[in-house]
Amino acid sequence: MPGVDTALLDEAVHWLTRKYASDFSAAEEAELQRWRKRSAAHERVWQCAEQLRSQMGTVPASIGMAVLARTRRRPDRRQVLRAAGLALVTPALGWLAYRNLPWQAWTADYRTATGERRSVTLADGSRIVLNTASALSARFDRETRLVRHYSGEILVETAHAGAPAALPFIVETDNGRMRALGTRFIVRMDGQDTTLSVLQGAVEITPRRSARSMVVRAGEQTRFDDTAFAPVRRLAEDADAWSQGVLYAHGMRLEDFLAELARYRPGVLQCDPGVADLRVSGAFHLDDTDRVLDLLARTLPVQVETRTRFWTRIARR
Amino acid sequence: MYNEHSQWLVAWLQRKLGNRSDAADLAQDTFTRIWEGARTQAIQDIRQPRAYLTIVAKRLMINYLERQSLHQAYLASLHLLPEDSVPSAETRAILLETLQELDALLGELPAKVRTAFLLSQLEGLSYEDIAGQMGISVRTVTRYMAQGFRQCLRVMLDA
Repeated sequence: MPGVDTALLDEAVHWLTRKYASDFSAAEEAELQRWRKRSAAHERVWQCAEQLRSQMGTVPASIGMAVLARTRRRPDRRQVLRAAGLALVTPALGWLAYRNLPWQAWTADYRTATGERRSVTLADGSRIVLNTASALSARFDRETRLVRHYSGEILVETAHAGAPAALPFIVETDNGRMRALGTRFIVRMDGQDTTLSVLQGAVEITPRRSARSMVVRAGEQTRFDDTAFAPVRRLAEDADAWSQGVLYAHGMRLEDFLAELARYRPGVLQCDPGVADLRVSGAFHLDDTDRVLDLLARTLPVQVETRTRFWTRIARR
Repeated sequence: MYNEHSQWLVAWLQRKLGNRSDAADLAQDTFTRIWEGARTQAIQDIRQPRAYLTIVAKRLMINYLERQSLHQAYLASLHLLPEDSVPSAETRAILLETLQELDALLGELPAKVRTAFLLSQLEGLSYEDIAGQMGISVRTVTRYMAQGFRQCLRVMLDA
């Protein structure tokens, strides 16, 4: 091993192990301070120890334990590879599980990772497309078909054939409930509120802390929080383009465009204020956001600065 | 060697990973790794280039899968936090990098050693508490701690 004296390493390990023991005394601490001053090499080793401590110090304990002490599959390397192969073909367990349950008590959870898009069919035949970073659970019983939407964006197409179709179909977010009146609609959760876009039929909204309800019809969009609705707006024609993996921009501000694109990629995507007002138009494929960024760099006076895999910034060229 | 085998390697990795762009990245890394190693071994001397490429690529792929599993665990752990204490995007990116560095430092430490070490360094538990929690003796905890520190220092000093 280059540059590390084994005896020195042993001593450093001894001191570190003592330092965190509950009976580490002031006298020992003084001795440790003398030890580290013995030579430049001693000091260098101890600097590493301090660096380790400060790095550990920046990690919230709950996250650190969950991530660094995660169970890992590496009894042998072949198994790691096999496990990776499995992960790629894992089916919707919720769907399989439902087959063994009576209709009266059907539940399932679905979730997509950042950049992932997925279509699921519920037990009544209704279809939901989950956009990037979205999560929901569906619970059907004798009285209602309830979809609890936790995060992200979903496109719902309710089934209208068969006995279950007679039951109310409800999507619930943090902000309130939406009752489908035979229909196709999109629910998006953003920070503090929920946006509802109705493509077909109509949906009735009841905010969580409101006695009032409102019906939103096909071609309309509205936003609501726990207590109130925003005025109804006309729906853009391509509101459901994401369900086909496409993002349409018509003279969209670059900053808004990047904020939208950022939903589909892990990490940070920053927009320099100097280029925020440039305009973007076109149809972009969401499945390869790196390519979209390349395309921007070729068509606008901007460059893509990548600091790490998870940190990208768009600035003036 | 690159001209002759790069397409084959990308195809091979793609079969394993099921994803073309990651496969292309890893193939690139594999060749880079081999070029870097060329100081100690002449590339022309490699008798069975595909076998050799596979060995290097496999090692890189395992690291890659480890990184992915770290990333997934990280994303899941963010869901555990109460909503108002989720860090900003910038802090999250830095945090992820720190976690990757620490994960690399901890290297191949056995699970028990890793857990004991992290309980002390992240949770700030005393050796006695760790012993109680894990059902092992304080002496064993002390030994695990030494093993943990040795591993981290070694990697840091080597770099």
